[in-house]
Amino acid sequence: MTRALVSIRAVSQQFSADGASVTALDGIDLEVPDGQFVAVVGPSGCGKSTLLSLVAGLRVPTRGAVLCDGEAITAPMPRKVGMIFQEANLLPWLSAIDNVAFPLKLRRVPKPERLQAAARMLELTGLAGFESRLPHQLSGGMKQRVAIARGLVQNPAVLLMDEPFASLDEQTRMVLGDELLRIWSETKKTVLFVTHSLNEAVYLADRVVVLSARPGRILDDVAVDLPRPRTFAMTSSERFGVLKDRIWQHIKHAERR
Amino acid sequence: MRRHERVIVAAGALGFVLLLEWLVRVGRLDAGLAPTPSAILDALVRLLGRPEVLASLGVTAWEALAAFLVAVPVGLLMGFTLAEVPVLSALFRPLINFLFGVPKSIFLPVFILVFGVSIPQKIAFGVFTTVFVLIVGGVAAVQSVPSELVTVSRVYGASRWQIIREIYLPAMAPILLESARLGMVFNITAVLLCEIYGARDGIGYRIASWGENLQMPQLYAALVLVATAAVAVNEALRRVEARLGSWRQPS
Repeated sequence: MTRALVSIRAVSQQFSADGASVTALDGIDLEVPDGQFVAVVGPSGCGKSTLLSLVAGLRVPTRGAVLCDGEAITAPMPRKVGMIFQEANLLPWLSAIDNVAFPLKLRRVPKPERLQAAARMLELTGLAGFESRLPHQLSGGMKQRVAIARGLVQNPAVLLMDEPFASLDEQTRMVLGDELLRIWSETKKTVLFVTHSLNEAVYLADRVVVLSARPGRILDDVAVDLPRPRTFAMTSSERFGVLKDRIWQHIKHAERR
Repeated sequence: MRRHERVIVAAGALGFVLLLEWLVRVGRLDAGLAPTPSAILDALVRLLGRPEVLASLGVTAWEALAAFLVAVPVGLLMGFTLAEVPVLSALFRPLINFLFGVPKSIFLPVFILVFGVSIPQKIAFGVFTTVFVLIVGGVAAVQSVPSELVTVSRVYGASRWQIIREIYLPAMAPILLESARLGMVFNITAVLLCEIYGARDGIGYRIASWGENLQMPQLYAALVLVATAAVAVNEALRRVEARLGSWRQPS
């Protein structure tokens, strides 16, 4: 058993909205071993994104602690954690390669070095030849590839993905899903992947964590025992259906409340 | 503009000038009020040879530049502050929006009472007219910065200063330059208005006195001069703006 790289221990998160206190997460315990691909699903507004922002160090939990590699996360740790959002969120005035190199620029890595690293990442994400394009000259799927390259450029141990394919069309999201699996198997990252799509969760992940409606608690922790590499044919297999159905039962009840 | 479009525009302008020339020469237009284009050109050449006219142009340019150099930082700083401090915004936005919409020319007599007919009066009135454009532009510029990009930079470890330099400045640059350009238009108008209304020097003062003395060729020559200068400044700022804003999605 590999050691836990990301540990979420008894984490609760409260917000105050219009004077009232809202509990987004309630007593979350989650240990993610190094190299595991974990999908997080749950009904809308269950605090999935909040959970990621805690690991990203964008917030500090009200109670409990989030640890990465044994170290408590209280601020962003850009060298350990990369993040990809629903929108690519590229800097529109920078070319693809400069966008990928941006995290290195913030760390004052010399220009030749950071451009070299960025070029390697663009190649890894299948964008060789598009280095000098501006974001508005790229398609939605390509922009998201640039965002993934940017998330990987510092070689972080953990990759956080907050519904990264949600604003792409069905075909692009399937292609990018396979691409992500290829990149994941090449780079051995630990991935925390928030999604609305049960298909996506089961297809991509080693393990699917199901959160309840607010306040978010862990309802189930499903090990996906489908062999790798995953293939499109598996999505119509019986096992795939059984796993998806198990998750769906939780979501259905949670959404109904 | 494409090449053939330029040719058409140039031909149109030339045709218009020739038409004017003809209308005045055949007596369809009163030569006393509308001198021939050739007479205006003649006057223009002679004006440019007179040192006191060039000095007047210099005075106007100096007043406009000084007002601009005060109004831009002051206005933008006020705009940024209003955009970032909600309390101040709540207090001052209504007043600023009100003053933004009021024609500034009605305040000109007040500036004469306070500053006298002087160069500081022109500069002060220029600043007063221009500053509102930059306040509103400063607020709009801050509000145009996408908050997601700030979040992304934070995830990648950007310091506060890096967020300002790497996100805020480039994101705001096109709107800042646009406001500066618009401000300059208002500024030149304000300074010329001051000079025409009452002054001891400046090209506006000369335009007013040529007008009063019915020296029409000189008057129109000065108009050509001022128009050319104003368009040149505007074009120069617009070019910088287009260059810095080339990343913006063509819509």
